[in-house]
Amino acid sequence: MLSEQTAPPSLRRDDLRPLLTGAGVVHRLSRVTGWLGRYIWAGWAGLAGLFCIAAIWQLGHELYGSFILPSPLETLATAWKLVSAPQFPTIAATTAERALTGFVLAAAVGTMAGVVAGYSFAAMRLLKPIVTVTLGVPPIAWIVLALIWFGSGNGSAVMTVVLASMPVSFAGALEGVATRDRQLDAMARAFGASPLRRFGTVTLPHLLSYLFPAWTTTIGSAWKVTVMAELLSNTGGGGGELATARALFDIPAGTAWILITVGFALISDYGILHPLREAVERWRSAGLPWGVKR
Amino acid sequence: MKLALHAVGHSYLGRAVFEDFDLTLNPGEVVALLGPSGCGKTTILQIAAGLIDPLRGRVARAYRRHAVVFQEPRLLPWETTLANIGYGLAASGVARAERDQRAAARARGVGLPPEDMGKYPIELSGGMRQRAAVARALAVEPDVLFFDEPFTAVDVGLKRSLQDLVIAAAEAQSFSAIFVTHDLAEAVRVADRLVLLSGEDGRVLDRRAVAGRRGARSNRDIFEMVESWSHEPIFAELFDPRRQD
Repeated sequence: MLSEQTAPPSLRRDDLRPLLTGAGVVHRLSRVTGWLGRYIWAGWAGLAGLFCIAAIWQLGHELYGSFILPSPLETLATAWKLVSAPQFPTIAATTAERALTGFVLAAAVGTMAGVVAGYSFAAMRLLKPIVTVTLGVPPIAWIVLALIWFGSGNGSAVMTVVLASMPVSFAGALEGVATRDRQLDAMARAFGASPLRRFGTVTLPHLLSYLFPAWTTTIGSAWKVTVMAELLSNTGGGGGELATARALFDIPAGTAWILITVGFALISDYGILHPLREAVERWRSAGLPWGVKR
Repeated sequence: MKLALHAVGHSYLGRAVFEDFDLTLNPGEVVALLGPSGCGKTTILQIAAGLIDPLRGRVARAYRRHAVVFQEPRLLPWETTLANIGYGLAASGVARAERDQRAAARARGVGLPPEDMGKYPIELSGGMRQRAAVARALAVEPDVLFFDEPFTAVDVGLKRSLQDLVIAAAEAQSFSAIFVTHDLAEAVRVADRLVLLSGEDGRVLDRRAVAGRRGARSNRDIFEMVESWSHEPIFAELFDPRRQD
């Protein structure tokens, strides 16, 4: 190994580890601010889209009146009231626990099965029809079965989420592994890389670009299915509140709970998955016209 | 003897590409496998490198490590240039710090500037990418190097400098190499001897040594050799414009 003294001037340790030097700190800062800037800008664009929905919603409200469709502002006010109520944390935690447990299980099982199927044609032949059938069964049917099997509790909601949202992760992982770059794989084999290293360095980075959209769909459907399962089985959480709102004809509360559920889905997507993707797939922005911000 | 192929034959979907191919690679020797597109020279190289198993015949290897430079750079798009050059080292278990040092030294050796080390392959020009691919192969300090038409996609000037790089590296590291190409001038420049394959049935048309020491042949020598050989009927396929690609 070359020591620092024997290395020629063009190859000091500073060149390799710019993060330790003064200029490195500036680089790092500009990278963080650049990332933050793009994140905020993306949020701004997303907000513009949301306001378009709000405008159409307002139009509907003005056409049909508050009883059919409360206005966005009215809903927002009700949602705020619900969120600041003392029992809200318990309700939110119940739903979040079910949705996130379901998501983690669905994503883990679906991804692993998909990876196996992507490598093995036999497994793919076997698993694909199973997934197609699972995807064809409406979530509402799973709830009925789950209620019979597990009774009304966490189990039935989680099971429904897992069964309803796993196929998406499965399909994403399968597609990702099946379309891996075989030329790069041959290169890795030529350099004597072990199967595990080949998976980590060649297949996985490619797979991730299929997994993130799949996981986004999985987490979104996890929230939807949880609320639906809760509503049907009347087991508390956001869905339970929605059931109560329906029973009392409390339309603003109903729309407010819908809004809150959407909020949860947005938070989990933009708060967890998007930053994760940004961090893992930084190399992708190298191909964009403005390059990687370092 | 570093590498020997005995009576190797291969077919794709029942169609034989070549049969009974023999080749012995001696220490420090560079052999050019020459032939028109589709004659099976890349398949021979893949068999020699252990990337595919031959259907017939056997391969004997007497070396520790080999490396391959492909026709395409085949760099990992999600890794920086430095990590890409160090890929073979990482695969053979060299620790991160040492790997980075050695990769950076190799990069300088092939003319990649230090500021490119943190870049991703997509930010490099085609020539720089191929330089990185050559550096990746040299970095593992191989005993045998396989070149699969490595410089077909780069411009003439760059091609020359990459060929010189390979010649100098072969001299300095004294590795043996198989160099697949369809360019007679390239074969004459980099190799000690050539094996000419037929595009018709993949059989060996000719084996001949290239006069003079590799690296010491002048451009005039190379030009004259290519000029006189290109009139021989066995080389006609290489220069036939009607051949199928």
